[in-house]
Parts: sequence; C-alpha cells; structure tokens
Amino acid sequence: MLWGVQIVGVVLAIGLAPFFMGIAQTVKARRQGRRGPSVLQGYWVLAKTWHKETTAPEFSSWIFRLAPSMSLAALILIVASIPWSGSVPSVWPHNLLVVFFLLALERFWVGLAGMDSAGTFGGLGASRVTTLGTGIEPAMLAAFGLLWALSGHTDIQPLAPELARRSLGALPWGLAALSYVFVLLAEAGRIPVDNPDTHLELTMMHEATVLEYSGRFLAQSQIAVAVKFTAVIALGWVWLGPQLASPWANLGLRLIELSVSSAALGWVESRFVKLRYFQLPAYLAMAAGVGMLALYLVVSGGLN
Amino acid sequence: MKSIAVETIESDQWLTRNELLKQAGAQLLALTAFRGNRLEIHWLLPDGNVTAGALNWNGSGFPSLSPYLPEVAWDEREIHDLFGYVPKGHPDLRPLIRTPRWPAGFYPLNDDSRLRPIWVDMEPDNPAKTVEGDGVTIMKVGPTHAGVIESGHFVFSIMGENILHLDLHLFQNHRGVEKSLEGLSTEEVPPLVTRICGADTVSHQTNWAMAVEQLAGHQAPETRCWERIVLLESERVLSHLNDLAQIPAGVGFQVAHQRALAMKEQWQRGLLTLFGHRLLFDTVRPGWSAKGDSDSFLALVRAMMRDWHPWRSMVEGHHGFHDRMNGVGLVRRDDAERFGAVGVAARATGLAFDARTLMPLYQNVSVKPVTGGAGDVAARFKVRLQEVEDSWRILQAALDHLREASDGPPWTPPQDLAGETVSYSESPHGLNVHVVALEEGRIRRYHVRPATFRNWPLVALATAGNAVGDFPLINKSFELCYSCSDR
Repeated sequence: MLWGVQIVGVVLAIGLAPFFMGIAQTVKARRQGRRGPSVLQGYWVLAKTWHKETTAPEFSSWIFRLAPSMSLAALILIVASIPWSGSVPSVWPHNLLVVFFLLALERFWVGLAGMDSAGTFGGLGASRVTTLGTGIEPAMLAAFGLLWALSGHTDIQPLAPELARRSLGALPWGLAALSYVFVLLAEAGRIPVDNPDTHLELTMMHEATVLEYSGRFLAQSQIAVAVKFTAVIALGWVWLGPQLASPWANLGLRLIELSVSSAALGWVESRFVKLRYFQLPAYLAMAAGVGMLALYLVVSGGLN
Repeated sequence: MKSIAVETIESDQWLTRNELLKQAGAQLLALTAFRGNRLEIHWLLPDGNVTAGALNWNGSGFPSLSPYLPEVAWDEREIHDLFGYVPKGHPDLRPLIRTPRWPAGFYPLNDDSRLRPIWVDMEPDNPAKTVEGDGVTIMKVGPTHAGVIESGHFVFSIMGENILHLDLHLFQNHRGVEKSLEGLSTEEVPPLVTRICGADTVSHQTNWAMAVEQLAGHQAPETRCWERIVLLESERVLSHLNDLAQIPAGVGFQVAHQRALAMKEQWQRGLLTLFGHRLLFDTVRPGWSAKGDSDSFLALVRAMMRDWHPWRSMVEGHHGFHDRMNGVGLVRRDDAERFGAVGVAARATGLAFDARTLMPLYQNVSVKPVTGGAGDVAARFKVRLQEVEDSWRILQAALDHLREASDGPPWTPPQDLAGETVSYSESPHGLNVHVVALEEGRIRRYHVRPATFRNWPLVALATAGNAVGDFPLINKSFELCYSCSDR
C-alpha cells in the first residue's frame, strides 16, 4: 500500500510538473492583464522541443551530452525521496542530507553543462548558478536545521506533528516557512532571483547555462526545471505542512498544495522585480538568518 | 528661394570658430560632407538662429575637430568611410560603417557612377577596442539578438560580473538612404524619408516638409502647423510609451511592462483609425499633413489618461523597481555636454535643451524642457513620464486650436526648387536634423543626422563600470533606434 502510493506519487509529481508551472505562468499572465497561454502549454512546448533536431556545439564534449540526464536523474531521486504517502517505505532513500547533496549534484551538472557549451553566456551562467549555490546551501541548511533540532535525526519526516507535540506555536513555524520560501524562490530560479521568462542573455542565470541546448537535450532540461519547481515546493510542505493519516488522502493533499502554491508563487513573482545580482548574497543571508532564528528559538529551549 | 547663408571658413580658423561656438552654448546641428572636398557645419544658437560654416580644401584631408569636440568623432568617421576624406588628427579612425567587404577605393557618397561595387568575399569583422589583461573576458553579443531587436554588435570587456568597456559596432544594416535620395524629385522623396526610421518617422517627415517650405519661402498656414504638432506629439507619446514599457522589462517587472504595452497598443489602434497608420508613416509632406477627427482624438486621449494614472502610481511606488534604476547607467552632466547629448538622455542629466522651445513651428505652444535627476536610468524614466503628460496637454490644446484655425489654399512645391537649407525638430529621441541641398528640383545632397546617432556613444560611456546584468536595463533606458543611425 505504502509502496503503491509512493510510486503513484512520484509518477504524478513528475508528470504534473509542467502543469504546476503552467498554473504559475497563468497567474502571472492574468496579473499582467493578459489571458496567457493554456496551463497545458508546458506540455506542448516539450512535445515541440522533443521533435526538433538535437545539436551540440563544435567544441563541447561528452559532458555536454551527459549533463541533462544527470541533472534530471538527480531531481527524480529527490522527488522519490519525498514521502508522498506521509511516511516513507523503509528501504526507500529518505535522508535530508541525501536530498541536500542531490540538489548540489544537480547544480554541479548544470554548471558543467554551461561551461562545456564553450560559449560566453554558458560560462557566465555557470558562474552565476554556482555562486548562487554557495549562498543557497547555508540558507537551506539553516531551514532544514530546525527539522534536525526537533527530531534529532535527518530523516525526511513530517515536522508538523513534532511542532504540535511541543506546542511551539506559530513563531518558529512561521520563521522556518518564511526562510524556506526565500530559499525556494532562489532554488527554483524564480523572481526576485532569476527570471525564467526573459530573453535577455546578459541577465540570465539558469537559462544561460542551457542556451546551447536543443532538441531532446533541451526538452530534458525543460523537464528538469519543472520537476525542480515541483520538488522544492513539495519538500517544503512535507516538513512544514499538515499530514493526513490515510496515505491516499495525504497524496491528494500534496497535489492540492502544489497547485495552490504554484498559483501563490505566480502572484508573489508578479509583485517583485529581479534583484541586482550583487544584492543576491544579502538576500540569501537574510534567508539563512531567518532560518537560524527559528533554529535558535527551538534549540535555546526558551520555548520548551 | 531662401537658401541658408553659408560662410566660408579658412582651415586655420576651422577649429577655433567651432570651439568658440560650442563654448558660447550653441548646439551642433550637423557636420555634412559634400562632393568636391567640402564640409559644412551647422550650429543652432541659443537664440534660435542657425549659423553655417563651410570648409574647402585641396589634397587628401581636413583638420579633424574630434580631439576638441568629441561629439563629431562618429560624424568624421562616417565621412571618412563614405567620402574617403581623411580627418587629420582623428584619434580613432577605425571604420564605422565600412566593412572589409567593400572594395578598396569605393566611397559611395563621393561617387556619381551609381554602379554596384563587387563585394569582397571575406568575414565582415571590424577591429574592436577591448581591454587586455589577466582575468578580462571579451564577450560578444549580437548582431543577431533574441527577441525583436535590431542588428547591433556589442563587444564587452568584462571582468567577472563587471563591465570594463563596451565597444559598439552598429551600422550592420546600412541601407544607403542618403545615396538613394540623391537625384530624386520632391515628389519622390517622402516615401523614403518616412522610412528612415519607424520610431521618429513624423519628425523626419516634418523636417523634409519644413526644408522644402523654407526653400520655397512658403509660410505654412495655421492649420498645417497645428496638425503637425498633433502628429509630432502623438509620435512622442507612442515612442515614450514603448520606452516606458521596455525599461521595466529589463528588470523582470512584467506587470508594468505588459500593462504599458497594452496602453501603447491602444494608442496605436487609435492612430490607425485617425491617421491610417499605426506608426504614422506618410502623414506629413510639403504643403500637406494628415488630419484626424479632433473629437475622436480627444476621446482617445482621455481614455488613455484613465489607464495612465494608475500605471504611473504603480511604477512610481514600486521600491524594488526604483532600487534597480537608481545610480545605474550614470551619464554625468559635463559628459553629456561634451558629447553633445540630445533628447531625454541629455535632459535627464539636467541640461535644459528641448528643440521645441526654439522651433518656429512651436512658437504658440509653451514647452518647458523636463529636466532633472542624476543622469541615471531612474532619471531617464522620470523625464519620459513627465514628457508623456506634457504631450497630452499639448495635444489637447492643439486639438482645440485646430477647430478654429484658418486653412490656406492648397500648395505644392515648385518643380525647379534649388538651394540649400537645414531643418530640425525634436523627435522622441531628441534633436533630429536634416541638411537638404536641391538643384533644379532634384536632391543634390541629403544628410540626415538623427538624435540616436548623437546619443549612441553615450550608451557605451554609461555602461562601463556597471554590472553585466544591468546592461539590458541601461540600454533600454536610452532605447535608441538603430535604423536611423544606420540609415
């Protein structure tokens, strides 16, 4: 039963990822006074890209061809680590540090791909993505640190029951959630950190690393972007959101949460502009700071 | 026939005289080369009069003004490329328009033959000015860009995320407009002049109409003047709405971007209904201009203002947007003066120059140059915001005047028009100048000096020292046209 729900959850999360992105895009379009394309546009784009010719730059190596599958594989493993049913089957990977390093691995391959494409923008994008990563990682550790402090282990297990048991109230939860939203926007490459909709090469981060890709490689990286978007949102709900006793109900709740969060993110993105590149360290330091504060409130025992 | 008086200047006086005019606060209109080793320079004096000087020489070249008047550096390079005249002492004589594909000795404007040259088969790459050293990367962008953008090749010298230097290679699509205009009759000119540029087209058309009317000694009737003011201001609103829409796009402020584009679209649909063209092509000719229905135009202006005010409050109140614009892409006021900046870019540094205050066409309209700000992206954005509102005020006044203005008898220019004159107007991008020489009713020389040509070097100046990711924003805050620079 647990296995069944988990497998269905992974398949649905990956299959519906372009749909969740589509929801965010639709909300953004409405806020701009446009009707916008259908929420299913992501699938049409994927189908189109998949059937186009796949080319590689003259001076690129096997790294360029391997990178899209490697980063996609890392993201699929993250999706698999998420307890869609509420708890994870015992032999399934479900350690938070594993997720953490899988995210780093994905970034590593994206950076390599950018550098190996042998263009100026690829190198620029790789430099930006990895620089950003050094800021995202401590911020994410700070946010996840709360989980560790409460449960004493690094398993991905729902945090909400722990919070309820210790009756910590809304403050640490709110701070942790805030910190995670900051990290999520950076990790998923959304405004105010990166603008996924831009055509301006000089301002791109993630997009710049995949500029040289086409055909199936490009389709893989487009799927990867959508899966990452879905995975980081789901991860947030797993440790900060409510859990239901029935595995199927829990999976349904996750999917509803994903749809609502996608819409909310589209709304948030419409409120902000992209930050200056040199202000991003301050943005991530703030994310880390808020996470640390939540952690401090719990660890100091002041609230126990 | 009322030609402009041109005073011949000795070559040893050439530099001093022009430097003195610049110091006296005169505005350079154009530096124009003619066949037969002749240069003419036109200055607009602060009192609105135009003074013209000519230089003739024997031998290979003329004394370059660029070391003392950097604003003519590109003009002299252009003359060198198209006429083969050598500006002696020019600090940077790399080709501006010329490509290695042009055969040696081919100087299109110095050539009567109209024969097509045989292009040399080689890579059309011109040497770029770059910074050299450890850790410096050369980043080339364009000439083909993502999105609907004209052709321009940008060579950046960058170190990490910092831009050290930008070298512009425009003129990728040189159409030879000035050459094509030569030999045309006055009826054949308007379709070509209209298409010099899509953004400043009314200004170009008006310049041609005013040049012909000046040469013929024809005083345009009141109605014609108000009609032209309406068209010029409509064009200003259109162009500014576009620029105001593009600046937020540079920082991912999609809501402001799309909503401004929607206003621009509404305006263009209105213009299509009123004047028959979304970009106002073919609306002004010597002795004629397009007429729209005043009442529906006033209704359009009022409808636009209803959308405008909420949009303006939104962008003015957005902290993050202003944070991105403040202090970015700075043009210092003395640099703007030195490089002869015009239009919004100049006024944003505090220079109070708006050609409308001197144009005879606008003598019955009160125009106050909108100045202000620190010369950064935010200042250029703010100047445009205010200018749109001023244009709506002028439009409403002009439409009211049009109701009771008196029209003259129809007029067409004489067939045998001859002489030489200069005309200028304030296009959305700034001072736009045409130097026109006619002989027996046909064009002998037509020189177009658009505002964007004057301002492009400032983009490079404003970019150095900024972050790589801020360049699109800086570029959009100038939003210069390639088409009229390339010609």
